[in-house]
Amino acid sequence: MTTFPPDTQWPCWEVFKQDAPNRPYQAVGSVHAGDPNHALLTARNVFVRRPSAVSLWCVRESDILTATPEEIVARPEVLETSGETGTYHAGLKRTHKRSMTFVDLVGTVEASGPGDALRQAREQHPDALTWLVFPECAVVRTDDDPGTVESWFAPAKDKTYKQQQFYGVIGKHVGELKREGRMPQRVNEEPHVGDQKVYSHPHDKAPKVQR
Amino acid sequence: MTTLTPIQMEAVIRKLTALADDEIILAHRDGEWTGHAPILEEDIALANIAQDELGHATLYLDLRRSLDNSDADRLAFFRGADEYTNVRLVELPKGDWAFTMLRQFLFDAYEALWLSAAQNSNYVPLAEVAAKAVREEKFHLQHTALWVERLALGTEESRLRTQNALNELWPHVAQLFAPLPGEADLVAVGILPELEKVRASWESFVLPHLTEKCDLLLPMVPAQASEGRDMHTEHLAPLLAEMQSVARQHVNAEVW
Repeated sequence: MTTFPPDTQWPCWEVFKQDAPNRPYQAVGSVHAGDPNHALLTARNVFVRRPSAVSLWCVRESDILTATPEEIVARPEVLETSGETGTYHAGLKRTHKRSMTFVDLVGTVEASGPGDALRQAREQHPDALTWLVFPECAVVRTDDDPGTVESWFAPAKDKTYKQQQFYGVIGKHVGELKREGRMPQRVNEEPHVGDQKVYSHPHDKAPKVQR
Repeated sequence: MTTLTPIQMEAVIRKLTALADDEIILAHRDGEWTGHAPILEEDIALANIAQDELGHATLYLDLRRSLDNSDADRLAFFRGADEYTNVRLVELPKGDWAFTMLRQFLFDAYEALWLSAAQNSNYVPLAEVAAKAVREEKFHLQHTALWVERLALGTEESRLRTQNALNELWPHVAQLFAPLPGEADLVAVGILPELEKVRASWESFVLPHLTEKCDLLLPMVPAQASEGRDMHTEHLAPLLAEMQSVARQHVNAEVW
């Protein structure tokens, strides 16, 4: 029998990011954090370094109920999962296409528990690949005040991702130095194996990216 | 405010360089945690903070370049410890996580409040830089204030480490508020914020956080820094040796 060491990690929090006002919150990933405020601060650093955002939510993983259609067929009792009566947020995974986001929140339902919320989400959105629900009371949010938006989210707007080519190389490429006669040459002038094209890469045909 | 006199210009350049030097050295110390922080998320967070601080150094040095056409890379990578003008607080070895978070907290609070005041500078380029950088600094401060609190009120071990960090760092705090030669004249004409006022607002924020919220004890230390920014600890030279090694090995580097 295999024994595993006890899990000493902090709780996992799912991070939901809103890109712009009136856009849905989207699940972008998760963080480990000791408490709600820590989760939010860490989520900002991990997920809002450059892409734009105006608001973040964090929800403890243990407060979230998810299921795929296959799982509901295999374990229909998931729809009976009991919990608090109240407002539940519902999210959907709609595509398998690779994406920066996993789940879009699509709205709220009034439910007698997580199972009931999951059932309603499934009825309203039968084509989803995954449904996700969590109670409104489990959400920890960034403040909406202008000060938070200005210090948490505004700085990222000015920062754009730079492609590798932007940084160039430190100094000159060795080939350039050789052509300028600034590298020691071999007596027999055999071209260095590193200068030979080994294979033709499709990217070589693309126009050079302007720096 | 239209133009700087030559004497003002010299003092502004001195101040911009000192501001940038603090950021460069602190960023390097933070960067030493990359790959070593307690958890992956904090590794990313501290690397982000370090990048922000370097970004602020770039803002200051760009501003300096507009005055004297100096080269930021030359200043960062080709000056020795005797020419750097950072405060000693930022050059101390990174220590443990409590030391790093507490140092960052003390510095973030100073930087956020100084920048906040500098937004009112009548030297417009500085006011613009301050308005840009203060946003990030307010966020840093939230992050590090949270960490100091969690560590101080955490386990007996974390409380002890945080108190030890405070004992070690506190004597270096006064230097943050020591004016440079010529700085008083720039304050008088509204170019720079008055450091004593920044210190007052810093104390009204930092002291309650450390003593009341975090239950830490403030060590008794002199209120004034004994030496200026030309005096460093033995830790700066090895830091620079590492930080500058690539640049000095590739002096012909043309693209960074």
